[in-house]
Amino acid sequence: METTSLPTDYFPIAIQFFVALGFVLTTMVATHLLGPKRKSKVKLEAFECGIESQGNARIPFTIKYFLVAILFVLFDVEVIFMYPWAVNFKELGTTGIIEMFIFMLLLLTGFYYIIKKGALKWE
Amino acid sequence: MNSLIILAALGLIILFSEIFNFKKIIFPIVFAGIIAAIVAALGDWNNSASYFNNMIRTDNYAVSFSVLILFITLLWFVMSSSMFEDQETRTDYFSLIVFSLIGALVMVSFTNLIMLFLGIEILSISMYALAGSKKDNLASNEAAMKYFLLGAFTTGFLLFGIALVYGITGSFNTDQISEYIMSTGHSSSPVLIAGILLILTALTFKIAAAPFHFWAPDVYQGAPTPVTAFMSSVVKTAAIASFLRLFGSAFAGPSEFWIATLWVISAITIVLGNILAVYQTNLKRMLAYSSISHAGYMIMSVIALNEKAASSLLFYTAAYGISSLAAFMVLLIVSSKSGTEEISGLRGMFSKNPIMASAACIAVLSLAGIPPLAGFFAKYYIFSAALQSGYTGLVLIAVAGSLVGVFYYFRIIINIFESNVQMNDLGVNVFNKAFLLICSLLALLFGILPGLIIDAI
Repeated sequence: METTSLPTDYFPIAIQFFVALGFVLTTMVATHLLGPKRKSKVKLEAFECGIESQGNARIPFTIKYFLVAILFVLFDVEVIFMYPWAVNFKELGTTGIIEMFIFMLLLLTGFYYIIKKGALKWE
Repeated sequence: MNSLIILAALGLIILFSEIFNFKKIIFPIVFAGIIAAIVAALGDWNNSASYFNNMIRTDNYAVSFSVLILFITLLWFVMSSSMFEDQETRTDYFSLIVFSLIGALVMVSFTNLIMLFLGIEILSISMYALAGSKKDNLASNEAAMKYFLLGAFTTGFLLFGIALVYGITGSFNTDQISEYIMSTGHSSSPVLIAGILLILTALTFKIAAAPFHFWAPDVYQGAPTPVTAFMSSVVKTAAIASFLRLFGSAFAGPSEFWIATLWVISAITIVLGNILAVYQTNLKRMLAYSSISHAGYMIMSVIALNEKAASSLLFYTAAYGISSLAAFMVLLIVSSKSGTEEISGLRGMFSKNPIMASAACIAVLSLAGIPPLAGFFAKYYIFSAALQSGYTGLVLIAVAGSLVGVFYYFRIIINIFESNVQMNDLGVNVFNKAFLLICSLLALLFGILPGLIIDAI
């Protein structure tokens, strides 16, 4: 652990930094100078996978959208806990299973609550 | 530890009381649940044990503060019954309060920085929502917004600080951090100092100490009065207790530089809080500034950092919590009847409402620190702890600050006893009278027999 690092040890990192910065700057300036400039209505339009874009993206959303979105995030992120548990399944043993079941139970309780509370009802 | 499980189960029961239609009887259930949690917490007394891979330790420090927090919440429920009248939202408020209690209990019993962070978040997120619980009130919305944005920002400071401390010491555990710093003498490492100062910033924000107090007056004024009372009693107790627990254990080794910082913060907080309170005409805002200045006194126990620190802080938070609950109760009754939160709204209260006026006087005198009330001995023990560690200058500033404090606290009393104006009978119900009586008696009891609490830890 107790290895000392001198400022000179960071020299390669500095070189890497300047190379990265230089590459970005050079390519941006070069394409700007070399490329032809054609400005037409079609060319300046936002590209939406070939479909014509309609209206402004900044319109008010219904509040229900945010509710569903945040609930989705909540139940989506919970999988993060499943992965390390699955990897360490053997080491954690029975205690691990019980703890995971308590966790899932609490999660399902929450799920039941939001359904009963009508958070997922769109109308 | 069992008290945590009881509270978590209680929170779930409250949530489901709406679905299974028993929210009419939820008040007694919450009461019984919190009393059960107190009993469970007391079961850990003198029975220190670590739980969850050394994440939490129920030592006597944790138990005494947990019991204090739960007890104050019990009193708070009596006071804030008006908040739970609306059938539509009562289960939400009840469960948010109970969940925030879990955070408070974690904050006073952590031995791991991650648990400290989790506790602060569990407590804070409930409070953000509660601060905005008057949905149609613009001030309440503003309070929630300000509290949330600034609180989330300082949470970033806390995490950053924890990361730096972890980077140097290689551990989240407070004992191991302290051990590492002691054994390797890394206390002068700039990264560690930066980490500790970032954590210190975040925690002083949570207790609303100057110069991180700017959110407090607006949030305290904008939030519904019961929520303000909860913030200034329970939340403040939990935050300062976690402060002392962290800095008294993990960072007790390299204490010179952060004690110097805290010395200044404490002095500024006391001076600024008291002087700004003098200029307030709104009672709620004045109590907010008074709460800021009390944070300054509480920090003195962290600065003292000796064996008296924990017991004097416990006594201070108990005395302050009870007195401020009573003061907010009076404000709540007066403002709900007369519609004004100004100090002038208290004029002539004594002639028609003698019981409430006397309770208000006792609460205010206790906050000011007049003997023989609890507030006096609270200040006395904190000051003597600081003196014992040799911080005479800070104690002198604190005494001068409390003298300024007496000035604005007495303005309330002068208004109450004004005889030119007649206030109508406020028609205080028996419930509220009993609450005020209990608070006054407790303030007197702790003042006459301070040994009840001070000898506890």
